[in-house]
Amino acid sequence: MKDLKIVMKLLMKERKDVFLSILFGFLAGAGAVALFANSGYLISQAAIASTLVVLTLSIALMKIFSVTRAVSRYGERYFSHRATFTKLSSLRVYFFERLEPLAPRVFNRYRSGDILARIVGDVESLQNFFLRVYYPPIVMVIVFLATITFTLFFSVYIALILAAGLFITGFLVPLLFALKQRKIQSELREMRGSLSAEAAEFFYGFRDLKLYQKLDEQEQQLGSVSNAYISEQEKNSLQALFSQSVNQMIALIISWFVLGAGAYLIAGGELDGIFLAMLVMISLTVFDTSTPMAAFPVHLEDSRRAASRLFSVVEEGESSGAEPGGGTTKHNLQEAPAVEMNNVSFSFPGEERKALKDINLHLPAGSKTAIVGPSGSGKSTLLQLLFKMYPEYEGEVRLNGRLVENLEDESIWAGINPVLQSNHFFYGTVKENLLLAKDDLSDEAMNDVLGKVKLSFSLDKQILEKGENLSGGEKQRLAIARAMLKGAKLWLLDEPTSSVDVLTERLIFDHLFEQGKDDTLVLISHRLTGLENMDKIIVMEQGRIIESGSYEDLMSRKGYFYEMKQIEKSVFA
Amino acid sequence: MKQLKEIARNKKKQMYLLLLLSVLTGAAVIAQAYYIVAIVDLIFLQGAPFQSIVSLMGVLAAVLAARAAFSYLNGRTGIKLASEVKADFRQSLLSKYRRNPVQASLKGQSGKKVSVLLDSVDEIDSYFSQYYPQMIQTSVVPLMILGAVFYYNWVSGLIMLITAPFIPLFFIIFGSAAQKKSEEQLEKLAAFSGKFLDILQGLSTLKLFGRARAQREAIRNSSLEYRDATMTVLKTAFLSSLMLEFISMLSIALIALEVGLRLVLYDQLTFFTAFFVLILAPEFYNSLKELGTAFHTGRGSTGAAAKVIEELEEKEQPVKWGNKQIEKRGAPPEIQLRNVGFSYGEGAFALKQVTGTIKPLTETAVVGRSGSGKSTLLHLLSGIAAPGEGDIVVNGETLSEYEEKSWFNELSYISQNPYLFSGTIAENIAVGVNETVTREEIERAADKAGISEMVAGLEKGYDTTVGEGGRGLSGGEKQRVALARAFLKKPSVILFDEPTAGLDLRTEQILQRSMKELAETSTVITVAHRLHTIRRADQILFLDNGLLAGRGTHDELMESVPEYRNMVAVQQGGDTG
Repeated sequence: MKDLKIVMKLLMKERKDVFLSILFGFLAGAGAVALFANSGYLISQAAIASTLVVLTLSIALMKIFSVTRAVSRYGERYFSHRATFTKLSSLRVYFFERLEPLAPRVFNRYRSGDILARIVGDVESLQNFFLRVYYPPIVMVIVFLATITFTLFFSVYIALILAAGLFITGFLVPLLFALKQRKIQSELREMRGSLSAEAAEFFYGFRDLKLYQKLDEQEQQLGSVSNAYISEQEKNSLQALFSQSVNQMIALIISWFVLGAGAYLIAGGELDGIFLAMLVMISLTVFDTSTPMAAFPVHLEDSRRAASRLFSVVEEGESSGAEPGGGTTKHNLQEAPAVEMNNVSFSFPGEERKALKDINLHLPAGSKTAIVGPSGSGKSTLLQLLFKMYPEYEGEVRLNGRLVENLEDESIWAGINPVLQSNHFFYGTVKENLLLAKDDLSDEAMNDVLGKVKLSFSLDKQILEKGENLSGGEKQRLAIARAMLKGAKLWLLDEPTSSVDVLTERLIFDHLFEQGKDDTLVLISHRLTGLENMDKIIVMEQGRIIESGSYEDLMSRKGYFYEMKQIEKSVFA
Repeated sequence: MKQLKEIARNKKKQMYLLLLLSVLTGAAVIAQAYYIVAIVDLIFLQGAPFQSIVSLMGVLAAVLAARAAFSYLNGRTGIKLASEVKADFRQSLLSKYRRNPVQASLKGQSGKKVSVLLDSVDEIDSYFSQYYPQMIQTSVVPLMILGAVFYYNWVSGLIMLITAPFIPLFFIIFGSAAQKKSEEQLEKLAAFSGKFLDILQGLSTLKLFGRARAQREAIRNSSLEYRDATMTVLKTAFLSSLMLEFISMLSIALIALEVGLRLVLYDQLTFFTAFFVLILAPEFYNSLKELGTAFHTGRGSTGAAAKVIEELEEKEQPVKWGNKQIEKRGAPPEIQLRNVGFSYGEGAFALKQVTGTIKPLTETAVVGRSGSGKSTLLHLLSGIAAPGEGDIVVNGETLSEYEEKSWFNELSYISQNPYLFSGTIAENIAVGVNETVTREEIERAADKAGISEMVAGLEKGYDTTVGEGGRGLSGGEKQRVALARAFLKKPSVILFDEPTAGLDLRTEQILQRSMKELAETSTVITVAHRLHTIRRADQILFLDNGLLAGRGTHDELMESVPEYRNMVAVQQGGDTG
């Protein structure tokens, strides 16, 4: 509920729209009641042949009510949706403001990109919060109160019956339903999860399932999980239908009581018979606003879940040390840093296995280092510790002799030219994406760098979301271009050219080493070729450094690097 | 929507049931109005005592209960129908996918297929659970009400008859305008809604470039633009409901006016008739309006159904099998390829005219650039996919003459990324073997595959759960599990897709040693990426762009096939340059 409060607070910024939604909602509801009350009264009057004045007045009122009703409905919808979408906008901004300081570390916890899509989905699904959870009950109560007050002029008993009806259809039935529904909903989610898992197994394991003759089994399994899921869905829908029907029936029964009580009172002379038709019409109409309340708990639960999931991302991030590091010292951006790691060990949050074990390395300022090793040996993790992606580790990491935990995050990041394994590009032009590197870049400078990485893109070329209209090699080259434009003194390159052909790679590296000849550079290389000129090569396996030295050293030592080199020579890619 | 309509129409039992329930609902609506009016009439105009209406009140209570019950049953029939249809769709999709391996797994669109199987099928629900029952109800109930009104007061009936068509008419006019408008805005909307996700996904990059803070305004602005674009679309939709509301409200007011005037001025009507008509009028218009709402939900289903049906109608390339058994000759079978070809569809990649013989206990290397058809050839040999032309002949009989099981029992397939089933490591090693195996045999196979050390290090050893939701194994470890499977199964034919790169030295060594050992008792066909594998092979099938460009040993091909020589040279050259 705490999370919904945040949503509610954001909503209150749109006070005017909220107020207008409620006002028009009330006018629409009350208009309908008035219209039918009036028509009931009209024909009763007509039946006893009263004066034409009364009739004309009634008829005029009827027109007013029906127009009010229709127009108010429009107003209600318009303002409630506008409030909702403005709210979603503030919600996105609010969420972003809290998430931004936690990035990029907060994403370490979530390996897959799903979390982000889910966040976006949760924000979207919160649009139901105002439209179906927040204001309809308010409108319902006000319409009922007005109606009940009106009927009080005619009969206290009938007003009491209507009040009881409001209580049962608006609160009691939805509450009972909510209790029942909660269990089914959670089972439904679980079943959906297992169906999706079984389906994934069926497709991803298709070839092996087929060859090992397990496909029938898997198909049957999948079929039966699907049937269980469908029957749970059915139970869920029937439950909803049932409470809706119950609510509808109660509304009808209340009208029945109104009719019976009215008849009794008239027979006893306590009420004028001319109002009976009107009261029955009121009762038949007013419940239109309360019967939809049967679905209220479902929407409330959905909103609550979405809100708590949304904010849990931020809260977990805050409690797990993704917050900006405490360091206040600014990292020196002007000169190439020396990099140092002393006895560093590291395991990923929630994992026992050590991803890095007893790492020691000393890279002098301006040195060029390559890290090689099989996939999963910890190369990328090592690189990420250098720019404080994971603040929790054993041992020391130093830049220019200073412990990184004492350095301000932003200044560390400002001091690197990163090309990581996945590089994000935004929807927009090539130019916009390059301008991330630095303000005030001239078109010439950008075109020049594009030339260096052998990309013949125009600066106005449109890039689609996540750069999906670029090939792997193009993305890597654009990322290198962006890093080159940034002009910091520490290069951190994680397999920057794995999708680029050997010849182009060589040309790009020539430019890169030329520009960075005085800078410190760490390169994770997927190939063992072209490493002859590096000052040092570090070989990693299973989280350890098992060899290091210059190319000649390693080759003459005939150790691990030499063996890997022999294999690489014989591999046809 | 056509196909869904067809399906609904074929469910005769449910259709008649829904029709019956609609008629009963109509009757209840009319009876409800009748009894309410009768009671008010007795009390109000005739001044009858309360006792005289007690029995009428009883009947009315029954009618009200019946009306609620009918509406519940109506909804329930729809829900049940939806379940039935969903189960049918999912079942046909499943059998479609399993019959059609090329479609299911080779094109690598598994994620999309999972989504069709789950989401699209679920989305079909609302057509049957909401739209269809409502549609039947709307085609019955208003007609009955109209009949009843005509019976008592034809003038009111006439007003209804004239005004009613405006509701569907306006619905269609405004509905299609809204549709057009929203289609115009759709691209804009999609771009806006993607912006937030785009920024979140790029947040790490933004931070590293010190650009994150500036994005706040971008999010706010794009959100507000998104709001305005959405509101434009919604306004059209709201306007259409406004028109509908106007029509129904004004029609009701018109009817009230008509009965009121005729009641008082001309004395043509009784109070009974007037009140009766007045209660039925809103029921009549509501029923018509509800169809509009239901139509909206139904439309969502249509798109989903189109996706499902598209999948179901995809062309099949089923693999045929016979019932012959592979003869056990004490040696692996001889395999011949006779003009084998395969195509992924018109204009797509094709493998053409591959011919050759693979003798028992030999090693064959399939070599070629990526995309030259190596994996496709391996799939055809395994029997997962069937050749579109030519034949694969095993021991003199076409592969399709044999029983599927009999062939698969002879076979092990070690892929680059072997699949681990949900289950223990022991189960995963024993998966290919039909007869029960002892734990000792499993451990021996694991030992040969060099994985026993790793397993011993696990708390639960061979009973450790792996696969979906279990412990993840590294690429090298998975390779070794696949090797252990082969050691346990002792197949006569092994298909091996050699890793391209990225393995640790130890796994490399184990792979080499194990394959050598397995080759002593089996025919081995390898998609080869390593020079030593290629050199060792008795025969190389060199593929170039889907064609068999050369066949022979390494030395022979170096001699006679320039493309082959070229490829090897580039490989060696890549090393130095």
